[in-house]
Amino acid sequence: MNFPILTFVTFFPLLGAILLIFVPGEKKNFLRYLVFFVALITFSVSLFLYFNFDSTAPEPQFVEKTAWLGYGINYHLGIDGISLFLIILTTFLFPIAFLSSWTYIQKKVKEYLIFMLLLETGIIGVFASLNLFLFYVFWEAMLIPMYFLIGVWGGPRRIYATLKFVLMTMFGSLLMLVSIFVLYSFYYKATGVYSFEIFDFYKLILNPQVQGWLFLGFALAFAIKVPMFPFHTWLPDAHVEAPTAGSVILAAVFLKMGTYGFLRFALPLFPDALEKFLPLLAILSLIGIIYGGLMALIQKDVKSLVAYSSVSHMGLIMLAVFSLNMEGIEGAIYQMLNHGLSTGALFLVVGILYERAHTRLIKDFGGVSSQMPVFSAFFLICMLSSVGLPGLNGFVGEVLCLFGVFTAHKVYAYLGVTTVIIAAAYLLWMYQRVMHGPITNEKVLTFKDMNKREIAYLVPIIIMMFWMGIYPQTFLRKMDVSVNHLLNRIHNRENVFVQEKNRAPLLMKEAALAEKALQEIKQDLDSPKGETR
Amino acid sequence: MNNLAALYPLLIIVAGALLVLLLEVFIRKENKNYLGFLSILFLVGCGFFCGHSWSKDYSYFNRVLYLDNLALFFALLFCVAVAFIILLSLKYISSQDANYGEIYALLLLALSGMMIMTSSSDLLVIFLGLEVLSISCYALAGLKRKDEKSGEAALKYFLLGSFASAFLVLGLAFLYGACQSLEIPVIIDYFRSGPGAGLLALLGVALVLVGFGFKIALVPFHMWTPDVYEGAPTPVTAFFSVGPKAAGFTVLLRVFLNFWQASSDANLIFWVLWVISVLTMTIGNLVALRQTNVKRILAYSSIAHAGYILVAILARDNSSLVFYLTAYLFMNIGAFAAVIGLSKKGKEYLELEDFAGIGFKYPWIGATFAVFLLSLAGFPPTAGFLAKFYVFSAAVRANLVPLVIIGVLASLVSVFYYLRIIVYMYMRESSREVDIDVENPALFLVLFLCLYGVLQLGIFPGNILALIKQAVSSLPLP
Repeated sequence: MNFPILTFVTFFPLLGAILLIFVPGEKKNFLRYLVFFVALITFSVSLFLYFNFDSTAPEPQFVEKTAWLGYGINYHLGIDGISLFLIILTTFLFPIAFLSSWTYIQKKVKEYLIFMLLLETGIIGVFASLNLFLFYVFWEAMLIPMYFLIGVWGGPRRIYATLKFVLMTMFGSLLMLVSIFVLYSFYYKATGVYSFEIFDFYKLILNPQVQGWLFLGFALAFAIKVPMFPFHTWLPDAHVEAPTAGSVILAAVFLKMGTYGFLRFALPLFPDALEKFLPLLAILSLIGIIYGGLMALIQKDVKSLVAYSSVSHMGLIMLAVFSLNMEGIEGAIYQMLNHGLSTGALFLVVGILYERAHTRLIKDFGGVSSQMPVFSAFFLICMLSSVGLPGLNGFVGEVLCLFGVFTAHKVYAYLGVTTVIIAAAYLLWMYQRVMHGPITNEKVLTFKDMNKREIAYLVPIIIMMFWMGIYPQTFLRKMDVSVNHLLNRIHNRENVFVQEKNRAPLLMKEAALAEKALQEIKQDLDSPKGETR
Repeated sequence: MNNLAALYPLLIIVAGALLVLLLEVFIRKENKNYLGFLSILFLVGCGFFCGHSWSKDYSYFNRVLYLDNLALFFALLFCVAVAFIILLSLKYISSQDANYGEIYALLLLALSGMMIMTSSSDLLVIFLGLEVLSISCYALAGLKRKDEKSGEAALKYFLLGSFASAFLVLGLAFLYGACQSLEIPVIIDYFRSGPGAGLLALLGVALVLVGFGFKIALVPFHMWTPDVYEGAPTPVTAFFSVGPKAAGFTVLLRVFLNFWQASSDANLIFWVLWVISVLTMTIGNLVALRQTNVKRILAYSSIAHAGYILVAILARDNSSLVFYLTAYLFMNIGAFAAVIGLSKKGKEYLELEDFAGIGFKYPWIGATFAVFLLSLAGFPPTAGFLAKFYVFSAAVRANLVPLVIIGVLASLVSVFYYLRIIVYMYMRESSREVDIDVENPALFLVLFLCLYGVLQLGIFPGNILALIKQAVSSLPLP
């Protein structure tokens, strides 16, 4: 098929944003419908990616490659089983986000919608890029719309939150940029060819010390984005201050870019450094799990509770990523999608509450379920999905993750499993305090139950939660080959490298393999078997 | 090829300057704008001849004036810059009570000075060009005659500038004493051959560096910048931040391109420049954090940018340097254009507080200003990102990793103050009455041309890159 689906999915929202500039800002409802349909079209086109995806091919698919700036900078898009679902998750959540902010955003609607569309283009671009330069462009460019979304439409401390968010993320990504430059110059020195292609860099074999530094550069950028334990401080601020739709996108998709970055770059590019830093990273993930959970327990604000629960859940995902086995990494990817759905849904639910009460403090609620029975059912399902109740999506992901971790390192698994307990504790307790008990606040009596629009955007999420919980094969089988491929890359390269460790610091993988083969042939010839023949 | 055609671009500009100066006397105050249009006509003519002599290697005066492609590229760039400045001045100078036609003549004269600087390889002639440029600049800084700050700026600029020129001349004298010539290739040969440069020659190079360091505002020779930038009329500030800087860097490029591997003494100069570059990037950005006047913020930001450009010189990557200067021209003039847009008769809004809320009140000025600031901060997909990207990647290839790390961290600091302006524009409620005169088509033309430049250079710079490649191909290979 010649139709460039990926380019379309990536840039259609941008096109919509440009179109929006020429629509007068007073026609708010027209703007909202227009944007909603743009997002819906993007989503439906992105479904083609799923249906036409060949789950037996390890190579990236839907590849589009054109020369762009020269010196290895190409416009190169393509997806594999890892990025496929993240793109669909993005396109799936954006129409929902637009529906959720239909009445919430009343001032500067046009600008808001433009920035949301720009954000969508940026995020999809990150997942679809196969050229490191292109990846970096999207990675950085997408900060700009998020900066405005938090800064203009956010809560009272929005300016502090947005500056902290941008500066911290940029700190990491600038150091990653330096690492990219170093990789680029190493590749040039090794081969005489300029390249920013990810798959070319995979072939590079660097000496362990260089790998260590480069790994730190990359890992810092991704760890800030995830966010892993000591770098998580921007997250609660950004989440609490962002408008609902911003929080949804932030939690559901933004954080996934960090884990995706680990899977796509940090692990396969620097396997030796990974080996060295693995215990540190795993311990940081564990601290994240426990610390995030404990912090969530004591939060007074529902939204920051959900934000800290993100820290905890992302810790488990990272731990599973570092297990470096099939179950662990598949579980991590699956859990990334689950976390996107359930935390996204929780933020939507909190948004619904906030629109009615204009407060998010837990103590201001209580007994809400009597006023909003439909809402309480939705809330319950979203909450249980986040807790990991069997039958819902969270369970499958968590079990896979923990299987993986258990195979890799038992002690980590024992500690990691606490996430399930703590999550149940803080979420159920929060649900109880908000939804049940006596009504202490007069205002609760005036709450109206969910309207059709609100039901309309939560239902698709609930359906997906059940689907992913009951029949995960739909998703897992599409990623098997890609994950396997990734693991091969990580583990086999280690073997190749062990043999060549004392040689020149820089060798192409092919050269190394060829040499290895040659040696084997030589041994064969020298061996007695050769003589007898 | 020795050909009179080498002189055409310069002659047109000088003739234009003199004609404008002459006509100034006869034209009534309210018609001074025509002088601006006339000047633009001359700029177009100059541009035409520059394009015409592309790749023809015209020279004159025994190759003292030599129009290689690099010189032509910069001449074209300067013409564009000056045309932008003139368009910005049309309304500004009449509304800010500085309605003197001299500004056009002075701008053209400054342009001729810059063209001499970029199209010669004789340091003495370069010095002549520099003086033509500097003296025009002193006068330009003081153009608002009734404004104290403007007068202060002119005096400061003049005193410190002539001091720097004196250093430069002294350095030239030393160099001449050591090398018996002021031709750049001869000087480089001197450093490359023989037992190594003597103290005299090194001192000469150091003093020349001081002279140029002053003009392009490198730390620690930057002290004049904030005051002069703040005091000078805003279009003139825009010109200062772009024109003299680009011309100075072109000279540095020609001098230092082949300098490094010359001798061990050259190493000393290399480390001096390394330190200067680090200081310029960090101090420029750190001091900018504390400023509340937008013009001063942009002044310090222009200091910091000089630091990044110096990295390109240290990395000996000429095309990334030229690209940076090109990108910088569009984004910086654009940013100043937006600042100029925020004024009305007799009043300029320059404090950060004044910017509160204007993003939504004046959407076009706000949005374009935001894009220019993001570009200055180095966000993709703008020209500023690509410029930094090229410079830093070249530096890594030249094994300057620590310098690059300092550079990116410095630019992280810069993100903070650029974003702070945007915070004021979009995220704060306006507390002051800001009411601007939006009837200014020339200004909007410049804003949109710069916006176009910033995006074109950031996303599809292919043509410009090809042009730059041709331009630097005339330089000796490093």
